Amino acid sequence: MSDSSAGKRLIVGIGDLKAGKSPDEIVTTLGSCIGIILYSAKPKVGGLLHIMMGYSSQSSKDGNFKKTKYADTGIAELLSVLKQEYGANPGDLAAKVFGGANVLQGITADIGAVNYSAARQVLESYKIPIVVTKVGGHKGYRISFKLETGEVLCQRLGEEARVY
Amino acid sequence: MDKTHKVDKAIELIARISIDRASQSFSKIIKSGAKIELESIFYSDVTALTEEAISLKDEEVIGAFVNLAGDAPFRFLFYVPVPASFLLADLILKNEPGTTKELDEYAKSAVQELGNILASSISNTFAKDFDIKLKVTPPVLVTDLASILLQEYIINAASGKDRVLVIKSAFKVIKFGLETQMYIVPTAESERILSYLENFL
Repeated sequence: MSDSSAGKRLIVGIGDLKAGKSPDEIVTTLGSCIGIILYSAKPKVGGLLHIMMGYSSQSSKDGNFKKTKYADTGIAELLSVLKQEYGANPGDLAAKVFGGANVLQGITADIGAVNYSAARQVLESYKIPIVVTKVGGHKGYRISFKLETGEVLCQRLGEEARVY
Repeated sequence: MDKTHKVDKAIELIARISIDRASQSFSKIIKSGAKIELESIFYSDVTALTEEAISLKDEEVIGAFVNLAGDAPFRFLFYVPVPASFLLADLILKNEPGTTKELDEYAKSAVQELGNILASSISNTFAKDFDIKLKVTPPVLVTDLASILLQEYIINAASGKDRVLVIKSAFKVIKFGLETQMYIVPTAESERILSYLENFL
């Protein structure tokens, strides 16, 4: 993590989340994982959750698991952080969803599609609108989320970067 | 020495022997000194491992994924920056360095071949020195950012775990300034074989 007068640059690894406020920037890269961005324009706060799997029922049965690896427990965790630490109103949040690529064709099943399906269902259960969906394909995604504007710069290998 | 420490030492020993043999095999093929150095063996939180990869120079690489199936399943990943794969192709095909200028079928085959050599060296070490049978699957090639290959590799090897044992090596052909990365991660099914290794200590 770097910190400057322009805001913090927060990096998110797999199975983790980071949240911040304007003018912070949150970055990650995504293969089959799904990046779920929640943003509230008032105040300018948001977070990025990097899930590896759909539902926490896939975890070990002893209840000792990392919540941010899964869509169901991870989205709940992100909502809690945004509400309690950043003062976001859940009703003001909108979601942008990226990733879910089938990078390892021929080695694994298309877990990206499964992860996306789970993320969408969980967001719908919280009645959070999905305003951008950029998922699938066979190449990974590089994501940069600017909390000043809520815009997400997304680039895939071999393609021009686009703002969503 | 406690048991966990013993097992870690056993894995380090296997890794060192394997990597030394891989280094010798590749040096013979290219008729130049290839040096593969064991950088570190460590347990890492998967989040921290991938976060570091994203924060570093995250360039386009071509990687070979190899599945070592059998008594002690491991996943093996070897990757090189795309421009370095051109040099690898020239070395393996015995061309003048600089001949290959794009990621063509020759460059891809070179990475695939090298992945196979390295993974087979590991497999042979397990079989000859420790009587642990492993079968090497044909390398599957993937081109993407280095951090994405590492993420997919970790998910493939140990999706159910929050921490993984990582054997990380640097592969160098000193004469040509070529440097690459190599990872070996045991899968969850390897736990019983790690216990078995205690019999050798």
